[in-house]
Amino acid sequence: MANPTADWEKVGDKFYRKVQLYTAVFDQDLELENYIVTGCSYGGAVALYRDETKLHSFRGTQASKSSIDLYSCAGKLIRRINWDKGSIKGLGWSETERLIVVTSDGTVRCYYDLQGEFTQFSLGHGTEEYGVKACRFYGSGFVALLSNNHLVSVSKYDEPRPKLLATPPEGEVHSWTLIPPAYTLSRSVEVLLSIAQTIHVVDATESEDRLLDIGPFTHISVSPNGKFVALYTATGRAFVITSDFQNRLSEHDSRSKIPPKDVQWCGNDAVVIAWEDEVHIIGPNNAAARYFYEGRVHLIADHDGVRIITNDVCDFLQKVPEVTDDVFRFGTESPASILLDAVEQLENQSPKADDNIQLIRSRLVEAVDTCVKAAGCEFNIHWQKQLLKAASFGKSVLDIYNSDDFVDMCETLRVLNAVRFYEIGIPLSYEQFLRLTPENLVRRLINRREYLLALRISTYLRLPTDRIYVHWASQKVRVGSEDEDTICHLIVEKLSGKRGISFEEIARAAYDEGRGRLATELLNHEPRAGKQVPLLLSMEEDEIALDKAIESLDSDLIFYVLLHLKKKLPLASFFRVINTRPVATSLIESSAQADDSELLKDLYYQDDRRLDGANVFVREALEQPDARTSIDKLSLASKLLSDTRDVSFEHKSLLEASALLKFQDGLDRDLSETFTGLSVNTTFFKLLELGYTSRAKKFASEFKIPEKILWWVRLRALVSARNWSELEDMSKVRKSPVGWEPFFALILSAGNTKLASVFIPKCAGGMQSSEVIAMWEKCGMRVKAAEEAVKSKDVEALDRLRAAAGVGTVEGREIERLGAGLRR
Amino acid sequence: MAPHAGFDTDQIKDKARKDLLYLLEGVRGKKNLVIERSLAGPIGIFVKFSTLQDYGVDKVFFLENGNTDVSQQNVVFIARGECARHAQSIADHIKRIQRESQTGHEFSIFWVPRRTLVSEKILEEAGVLGDTSIAEFPLYFLPLEKDVLSLELEDSFSDLYLRKDPTPTFLLARALMLIQQRHGLFPRITGKGDNGKRLADLLARMRQELIAGEDSNESNKMGLTPSTSIESLIVIDREVDFATPLLTQLTYEGLIDETVGISNNQADVDSSIVGVAPQPTSGSSKSVGATPVQAKKRKIQLDSSDRLYHQLRDTNFAIVGTLLNKVARRLKTDYESRHGTKSTAELRDFVNKLPGYQAEQQSLKIHTGLAEEIMRHTRTDQFSRLLEVQQNLAAGADPSSQHDSIEELIARDAPIAEVLRILCLESCISGGIKPRELEAFKKMILQAYGYQHILTLDALEKLQLLLPRGSPMAAMIPISSATPNSGAKTNYTYLRKALRLIVDEVNEHDPNDIAYVYSGYAPLSIRLVQCILQKQYLTSITRGGSANNAASMATGGASQGWRGFEEAVKHVRGQTFDQLQKGEDKAVKARSLLTGSGEKKTIFVVFLGGITFTEIAALRFIAKKEEARKQIIICTTSIISGNRIMDAAIEKSSLGRNTT
Repeated sequence: MANPTADWEKVGDKFYRKVQLYTAVFDQDLELENYIVTGCSYGGAVALYRDETKLHSFRGTQASKSSIDLYSCAGKLIRRINWDKGSIKGLGWSETERLIVVTSDGTVRCYYDLQGEFTQFSLGHGTEEYGVKACRFYGSGFVALLSNNHLVSVSKYDEPRPKLLATPPEGEVHSWTLIPPAYTLSRSVEVLLSIAQTIHVVDATESEDRLLDIGPFTHISVSPNGKFVALYTATGRAFVITSDFQNRLSEHDSRSKIPPKDVQWCGNDAVVIAWEDEVHIIGPNNAAARYFYEGRVHLIADHDGVRIITNDVCDFLQKVPEVTDDVFRFGTESPASILLDAVEQLENQSPKADDNIQLIRSRLVEAVDTCVKAAGCEFNIHWQKQLLKAASFGKSVLDIYNSDDFVDMCETLRVLNAVRFYEIGIPLSYEQFLRLTPENLVRRLINRREYLLALRISTYLRLPTDRIYVHWASQKVRVGSEDEDTICHLIVEKLSGKRGISFEEIARAAYDEGRGRLATELLNHEPRAGKQVPLLLSMEEDEIALDKAIESLDSDLIFYVLLHLKKKLPLASFFRVINTRPVATSLIESSAQADDSELLKDLYYQDDRRLDGANVFVREALEQPDARTSIDKLSLASKLLSDTRDVSFEHKSLLEASALLKFQDGLDRDLSETFTGLSVNTTFFKLLELGYTSRAKKFASEFKIPEKILWWVRLRALVSARNWSELEDMSKVRKSPVGWEPFFALILSAGNTKLASVFIPKCAGGMQSSEVIAMWEKCGMRVKAAEEAVKSKDVEALDRLRAAAGVGTVEGREIERLGAGLRR
Repeated sequence: MAPHAGFDTDQIKDKARKDLLYLLEGVRGKKNLVIERSLAGPIGIFVKFSTLQDYGVDKVFFLENGNTDVSQQNVVFIARGECARHAQSIADHIKRIQRESQTGHEFSIFWVPRRTLVSEKILEEAGVLGDTSIAEFPLYFLPLEKDVLSLELEDSFSDLYLRKDPTPTFLLARALMLIQQRHGLFPRITGKGDNGKRLADLLARMRQELIAGEDSNESNKMGLTPSTSIESLIVIDREVDFATPLLTQLTYEGLIDETVGISNNQADVDSSIVGVAPQPTSGSSKSVGATPVQAKKRKIQLDSSDRLYHQLRDTNFAIVGTLLNKVARRLKTDYESRHGTKSTAELRDFVNKLPGYQAEQQSLKIHTGLAEEIMRHTRTDQFSRLLEVQQNLAAGADPSSQHDSIEELIARDAPIAEVLRILCLESCISGGIKPRELEAFKKMILQAYGYQHILTLDALEKLQLLLPRGSPMAAMIPISSATPNSGAKTNYTYLRKALRLIVDEVNEHDPNDIAYVYSGYAPLSIRLVQCILQKQYLTSITRGGSANNAASMATGGASQGWRGFEEAVKHVRGQTFDQLQKGEDKAVKARSLLTGSGEKKTIFVVFLGGITFTEIAALRFIAKKEEARKQIIICTTSIISGNRIMDAAIEKSSLGRNTT
């Protein structure tokens, strides 16, 4: 086996290695130099599109038909997407392996699986007018540069909201790039534009000139961690600076007159510059190394390295991981390398194996750990095995060692090797795998329709498998040629008993494919009512949709369906639908109450709910600006109730209400006071208060105010008007329906003790004498109180009264006199 | 904190704060905030205005006012997603701002607690959906106190019972589901009432959906097995017991709510009563919703951070005066102690305590003022008359004997809410009012308060609060307990005895029964909770009252559902339910083995449709008794009172006097 260091290359004090991933990638006829090649991160798919700006030889009509071709890294064609939607200005990937295609008129297509299914939206913000010039992509979004230098940013694809960034200055943009929002301070995407000599940094709110004078730059590239920027000038010099433009880190002169094709970062430490068939790698301190290829190379930057693609090979260029360096570096004497050597000796059955172990005894744990990690960083299966064997051997010597990492690494490597296999073609490095997460790897496999492998990996790594089944079933529904019953049977049989299966998704796929019956049948297996509703609506199964929505009790869903139905159906059939469903009816009622009383009237009319119907008119009457129109509305309401027996009370009340309004209208005009809006009692009160006694009397009899209430209101009104004479007149009446105490209490609280006292004898009838004494006292009439005390022979009260009056006063003497009679 | 030390409501508060600040952080630069009015208070509970300012909030507007200006480029709307009206007004706002302003604006909408299809459709139809970025702000439960979680849905009562809108039930189920996902399934769900049943069904359904849901990975399997720290969930539908909130609340907190009104732990009190705020200008004490402080009113924070209030809130108002007095005297002696200080060390000690004294003095001043104001109210003739009528009705006196008093109240122009409360109380307790008398009352009310109340009376009838006796809805009171149609209407006559709702000898100073909160009437709703939690106690006090209950009674805790009180519960309106939620048996066993059984367990008591402060006080009283074994967490859709129930029905505008 070749030494793993064979393809290492020293750049400064660090080693870089070029790992050959696949050979014979593309057909030799494919003129790679005429194509735009863009690849998805994490060893994802590669999209090829013929560069429109380049001439190409005519090969008959067949070949000239333009298309976007999706390949795996190993060169296996995944899908050919025919393209006839105009010139493509941006072709890129999201980190979820969605292909994004941007045309010059600002239309964005987002192919969310690798099978040609897409969603589409438009950039707006003047793109139709000015046209898109170029696009730059990052993990979850992209920025489009328009021909008027405006920048439009899209930060997510699920609900794209294209936003205009701050306006950069005019001038030709020599090159540009962006810093993803995750790495900027502002949490907004930042765009670096090379205009004239300098660079402008543009974010959502401002455009700032960084005041450089070494431009113009033909290439700008931002390191994967967003901290550094590589600038390549037209004069062939490359600079590396920090992304805040504060420090210049290194400078390199490529001494090349020819502008390079591409400048990319290789990890966060080195910059890779590619010409036609030559690749330079430039490390810190001007260190450099070169690689030469046959034919045009394309660079695909990844998080920890760069993939280099030519017709023949797909290479991965990366900095040699520290652990690998530790194990394999020429002449190293690290414990891990000795452990690796030991295992070789062991295979040769040499006793030196034990010598080696003894040599590193004290650092064996470290050696094992390093070997495990180095195995992960290795692409070559032979060396993976060798390293794991070494680790296993070292482990067996140790008394205590936590093998979790070892076990995990074995599992991971099995998965990695499986997906790196050329038929799958996902050359993930260990670090990329950790970043991508196993779940997303499975997702990518599903998109490639590698269901079996996805399922195996999921079960192997104990991940949920529901998505795989659903995706499989959806594909089955789309492309399966069997008849519907068979498919349904097949799917249900396969998927029954599995957790988390969304039959709704499968049914939607079936429906989209025009297999309505199959969709309905599949939908019956969906346990979540809410999920079914939108699909049922689009399938025009309105009533079922409504029932399912009601079942979920989610008022939003119910209302959504109702709005849909209201728009779609004629009113009568709409009512028919909701009538049998009380929840739906009440929701419609309460929403209509706020903004659609006509609908409410119709609803109540057809349902013969007269009282409710009348109430709608009453509510309208309340909203009228003046009495006359109010009366009209009220009479409409009463008309509704006129021939119904059991609402006679309401009917009568409505008539009274109109009568009151009319009466008040008259009063308003006659008395130049506002009565409208008052109730019967308050109107009566106000009339009395203002002294219109006869009108008040007429009013009271007309509205049949009950006797007791009449007296109460009168009393209150007169007291509030301080109409004492009238009150005194009232005291002359023999009997009051409310008793006389209220008279006493109210007049007293109004401060007229004299008049209040008039009522004391009238109330005294049914009262304790002590209370009567208190009443007299409250009026300040101690003598009268004393008389009462004498009457009830209450000596105690008498003494108290005398004390209160004071001994020498007139009152006191009078009380003394009265008391004397009692004492005797 | 140990993992099983009980349920901690603070984490809900923290999460809400984090969620909001995270969302605000996502909007770059300075921003103006437009908040739906009913959300301002709840947000104020968990985040200070100054914190919002730190996150770039410049000005706060109310959505309803429509006066948002264009001073900032970013405009953030926060509104409830369930309400189509708000979506419409947000759309109007956006269009207006776009029209008025030359510069471009960035609009963000945070829907609380979730984004809805309807709102989005409205925005789409208005043509502004594309201009906004939309996010969810999942604010469900708001911890009002350590033991009270509320959704703070102001309209939940009218939504549920007047408009029959299931939204509050749905949101409550969602909120409970979140708790279940975190702490495990409620092992037992027991409850009463039709809406309560709906809630329980919904929970079961959501559980199924969760299992069927896509993300069935390891992490939330936890949520699908019964919890070991939660004992059960008790659901009480407000419908079950309308009478209790209609009575005047007699605890201190309850009376503050009745007289001044408390919303989101705050009360607006006239500053002549409680004095002017100490530092009205300091921004830090200002809450989110606080618009420039008006001179007249002062916002008072009423929660357990005020130690004095914590002590007073749940006591019967009768003894508040004595307690305040005691505190005042203690404070005085503490303060006087400075004269006795000899050494400088003692003096320093005293000075260190000074801020504490001052805070206490502040709160003493506030509460003395408040208590005096309430006293002024409770001493009026009208109040005592009202209370007397209420108590008589609750005690089962002949309702017609109270009619004179009610009539007098109407004649004296008492607030309509008070009058209607009494009438509704009578209707609830005695199964409707005699048709002829009801009609007379209705006429009096229309004449006294205006004919617009035709709508009010109709709404009350729809709420089944005010019904003629013998109407099909009022469902006759079953005379014998064997009547099959029991459960259509709560039968207070029967329950008064069976559950001993009236306790004559209440000791307000050292209460021995929950009846102290209404000075003699034990709220039915809480008695029902006791049927589940305090079987022994309840049996002991009802023994002799009804023989069938006093039968053999096991000593178990809440894990027995309604056992022993099935008969009584039959006489309460609505469906009765008692469900067990089981997970995989092995897992349950393993877990209960692991955790042991001697732990203190949490019980969630859910009041669907609202809870009063007195009921909270009563539940706290129970919690105190059961402290050793159980922790009670109260969940509700909102805090209600009799007046708020009436507000749901009362028509506010009047005929022919529309000023607009």
